[in-house]
Amino acid sequence: MMQRISRRTVLRGLGTVVALPALEAMLPRQIRAAEKVAAPRRMAFIYVPNGCHMDDWTPAKEGTDYELPAILQPLAPVKDDVMILTGLMCDKARPNGDGAGDHARASSAFLTGAQARKTAGANFRSGISADQIAAQKLGDQTRLASLELGIEKFRGTGNCDSGYSCVYEHTLAWRNPTTPLPTEVDPQIIFDRLFSENSNDPERLKRRRLRSSVLDAVLDDAHSLERTLGGADRQKLDQYLSSVRDIEDRIQRAEKLPPVELPQGTKRPNEPPADLTDHLHLMSDLMALAFQTDVTRIITFMFAREGSDRSYPMAGVKEGHHTITHHQNKPELLAKIRAINTYHIEQFAYLLGKLKSIPEGDGTLLDNCMIAYGSAIGDGNRHNHDDLPVLLAGRGGGTIKTGRHTRVERETPINNLWLAMLERMGAATKQLGDSTGVLQGLG
Amino acid sequence: MGLSDRQGVKQTMRLASLGMMFWILAGAAAVLADDSAPRKADHPAPPTFAKDVLPFLKAHCFHCHGTEDGKNKADLTLSKYADDLSVQQDRKVWDNVLHMLRTGEMPPMERKRPPAGELEAVIESIEGVMANLDCSKAPNVGRVTVRRLNRDEYNNTIRDLLGVDFQPAADFPQDDVGYGFDNIGDVLSTTPLLFERYLAAAESILEKVIVVPETAQPKDIRLQGLRVSRGMGEETNGGGVLYGEGEAGNEQFLDAGDYNIHVEVYAKQVGDEKVRAAIRLNRETVKEFEVTSSSRNQLQVLEAKVRVQSGTARVGAGFLNPFVAPDHTDETPHRRLLFVRSIVIDGPYNSPPPPASANQNKLLAHAEGLEPREAAREIITRFSTRAFRRPVKAEEVERILRVYDIAEKEGEKYEERLRLALCRVLVSPHFLFRVENDPPGAKPAETYKISELELASRLSYFLWSTMPDDQLFNLALNGELRKNLDTQVQRMLKDKKSSAFVENFGGQWLTLGRLALVAPDINYFPQFDDDLRAAMQKETELFLEDIVREDRSILHFLDADFTYVNARLARHYGIDGVYGAEFRKIKTPANRGGLLTQASILTLTSNPTRTSPVKRGKWILEQLLGTPPPPPPPDVPEIDEKKIPTGSLRQVMEQHRANPICASCHARMDPIGFAFENFDGIGAYREKDGGFSIDPSGELPDGKKFDGPSGLKTILKEKKELFARSLTEKILTYGLGRGLEFYDKCAVDRIIAALEKNNYRFSTLIVETVHSDPFQMRTATGEKP
Repeated sequence: MMQRISRRTVLRGLGTVVALPALEAMLPRQIRAAEKVAAPRRMAFIYVPNGCHMDDWTPAKEGTDYELPAILQPLAPVKDDVMILTGLMCDKARPNGDGAGDHARASSAFLTGAQARKTAGANFRSGISADQIAAQKLGDQTRLASLELGIEKFRGTGNCDSGYSCVYEHTLAWRNPTTPLPTEVDPQIIFDRLFSENSNDPERLKRRRLRSSVLDAVLDDAHSLERTLGGADRQKLDQYLSSVRDIEDRIQRAEKLPPVELPQGTKRPNEPPADLTDHLHLMSDLMALAFQTDVTRIITFMFAREGSDRSYPMAGVKEGHHTITHHQNKPELLAKIRAINTYHIEQFAYLLGKLKSIPEGDGTLLDNCMIAYGSAIGDGNRHNHDDLPVLLAGRGGGTIKTGRHTRVERETPINNLWLAMLERMGAATKQLGDSTGVLQGLG
Repeated sequence: MGLSDRQGVKQTMRLASLGMMFWILAGAAAVLADDSAPRKADHPAPPTFAKDVLPFLKAHCFHCHGTEDGKNKADLTLSKYADDLSVQQDRKVWDNVLHMLRTGEMPPMERKRPPAGELEAVIESIEGVMANLDCSKAPNVGRVTVRRLNRDEYNNTIRDLLGVDFQPAADFPQDDVGYGFDNIGDVLSTTPLLFERYLAAAESILEKVIVVPETAQPKDIRLQGLRVSRGMGEETNGGGVLYGEGEAGNEQFLDAGDYNIHVEVYAKQVGDEKVRAAIRLNRETVKEFEVTSSSRNQLQVLEAKVRVQSGTARVGAGFLNPFVAPDHTDETPHRRLLFVRSIVIDGPYNSPPPPASANQNKLLAHAEGLEPREAAREIITRFSTRAFRRPVKAEEVERILRVYDIAEKEGEKYEERLRLALCRVLVSPHFLFRVENDPPGAKPAETYKISELELASRLSYFLWSTMPDDQLFNLALNGELRKNLDTQVQRMLKDKKSSAFVENFGGQWLTLGRLALVAPDINYFPQFDDDLRAAMQKETELFLEDIVREDRSILHFLDADFTYVNARLARHYGIDGVYGAEFRKIKTPANRGGLLTQASILTLTSNPTRTSPVKRGKWILEQLLGTPPPPPPPDVPEIDEKKIPTGSLRQVMEQHRANPICASCHARMDPIGFAFENFDGIGAYREKDGGFSIDPSGELPDGKKFDGPSGLKTILKEKKELFARSLTEKILTYGLGRGLEFYDKCAVDRIIAALEKNNYRFSTLIVETVHSDPFQMRTATGEKP
């Protein structure tokens, strides 16, 4: 039964998000009604830090007839929906003359293919990230152009990585080379952001009109203020201006889009769970819900910030993640790294299982997704940036042949993979960062 | 050292990674070792690059570090430096040059050695040139990029603007950190997500502060479960029956206003008189009735009107004339009865509006007799003046009123219109950013004194992390702030709002944020829990506050004879006789004193399962002395498994020294860290580490020896100029909101000179910072509007 949930009801609800597998009838109208039109494609990028133990990640055989190595075992139920890509590299994460700072460079370059400027404060700079390219082209079709999720909130004081600002390690998404997008870690806030502005009753419409008038007014303020400022001050005002315009666009867009219909039984989450696994599951639930209700089609999610030194007692690892990845080939440390990598894959498998459980069109929501998972560091001790751990899950609306292990040519930039995904999203671009062409052989 | 120098670093980085480390090390080692070496050369005139350095370079360096046919021969090119200024701007490069010369690595052995005296002379000359920044010329005061309020500043400013402590920024995204602080103009950015939050926060705050006085709507209230006076009757199904002179009724909270009371009754008539009843309010009769009904089928409704104050009231029906017939027995009862079936109250009518909060009254105060729009004008003028931290022009207020007009057209009530207008003020860039305007017609790179109002903002955000209070604001409006600067600074340091300075500056300077994240392994440190963590944090905060409020010498940070503990922390430290959860000041035991032996610092510089002397050494070098070791090279060579010595932590780490590649940096960090080995991974004292005895003695690269933490502290206190410089640079960075450049050395030198004269008192540091050129002035861009 379709439920139009008023804002008050949504906000009064408690408990974790329980998005039941949607019945065919519960799909958003625009997806269900037009059988001729294919469901929209979604893309997501999941990041894990500090590299992986590649010996237990890379399958021995290529092609469709391969065995899942130890770390990837949890993917067994979704093996046919996943593609393993071996041999990609991220050149801009390498020093290229800048000395230490591989972690900051890695997360900064993962989706941008740009060399992070080495600075601890002034003038940080990366490049535009692949997800934001898609958001710029397609963002006006959904309520939220894109969603940036994370698990670790605190930024850290002092220098984050060898002279690189903390900014670089905490997000994958860059709107433009100087505007990183902060991640949201609180499931309750994410839920409200996704769903609290979605009905079209007169009271709500009036509120939107009044809000728009406030936004128009402060845009005026900012324009006239900008004229009196110079130098770097102008850029700061520009950021403010584009942020305000973004909200304005979103309000106007929301008015044209049909209201969001939440699956029956969806509840608003409580505060972030203390347990990491619960937190990750809740975030995965929200990702699935966001895709299912088509509030957004583009998500980035960092399972932990790059360089994270979090311990994983649930995987039997008491020491910090980053600390043990400087393993110097000690077997007991390698075993612990493997344990953490496997734990992360378990959480990824949960997400994929969730997406697979939601019917859409002739198949499932996962079939219409392209979920990339990986890191821009290969081995955590060597800090190398080739032979990266990369997975691609979901059939991209029938354009990707999953269920196999593919080895690409040496020194293929990972940005080539992003170009292939962008093409399939309808946001094709000729070049991004250090890309050398669209990655072939995915279909 | 906090000076930016991208070009020099890039060049240096291109050298072989091994050699690179030695180079970068130079500056720190030089400064650490250099207390005894004369700072200025014995030349009658100060050395210049052209006269005293260039000839040496030409003779001994340009062969490799020069150019040939316009191309650089080596990664480092020294021939491009022409004068003093170019050397001063590339400080990092020249620190490395100095180190290579001092250690004898350069000129390389294969080349002809320079005569003995020449080498010393050129070293002195280079030092002289670098120190010789001509501070007498017009100062270069830099230019802070316009600063957005960060989370703490936003919270505090809202608190002071609206009078309530909401902490609305709790769900804002975290601010980005630069140069160690989260208030750096260049680094703070605005994103759509953040702006969304600003809008939501402003709306929700104003909804709470400005309440639309809605009169309560009348409704029917049915009293539940009537109670009957004891012995005067019985309770029946939801109602009551009275046979004595009692009352059936109940209590109910009622808002102020008029109410109609309806009582459904019926009676058993006995005797000559009819049953008489009364409606009572709070046991006082409101109205009396004659009840004519004689059976259940003849329900009668008694009605009365009352007016009540807001509060709990008792409403009931009373029996006025009970009568027992002479032939009444319990088995055959024969007496008058009053049955009360229900009591329903409907109302309130004509209720007075609920009183507004004091805050709301203050916020919306205006002259009497004004039309709503004019009242709004007065309110908005006053509010935006305070919010924008400057006087607002009439046309600005008129523009803000447009939003008020739009709200009125949409049918919003007066209070709602005001909410919208004030919300618009709270998301305006004039509120969210601390704007500083170049004077009109300023030429490019011209420096000017910032306005008094701009100075008031800089001052209040520096010392209080919030907007200027009325006193500061009025002084600035009247152009009297600079005249009264010192008294104001002293007032502000003593005010309890300066705890924001302790938390924000102190917390970031000492990286206390990491304390919230440490996770000591429960098997190794079972006694660690959140209470202990909180106590550790509190000790350091109170300690810092003490030094600020009591205006003590900054050297107390390094060593002091007092601290603050509660029972939990005292137990952790092995101190007897402290009871209770409150913190109190105590004299420190012999083995503790100052920041370095506080559990907070010792814990946040440890690993989950053990101490980390490397982290402790690095922390002290970085945060206290301003001489951070360079980062490890990208390819830390793998340690030969077979050669790892067993034994105590100290012995295991001897590897760091054995391998010369590692030794250069670790010789600086490890000894300092090992001095504190008697304090375990959560800062408790220990005689042994596992089975191994602890040796806290050590030797610094410059040869100074110490036999434990006290000895090390003595050495550090002797390096007071170094410590003072590091602290000053950090305070200046925090106060200005930008990283320091090479030209800020002039300001830093002046502040340190004043500190030396004033026994290193803390307030001197603040007063001198506030008086410094970079704080008082700004450089114009000269761009045409």
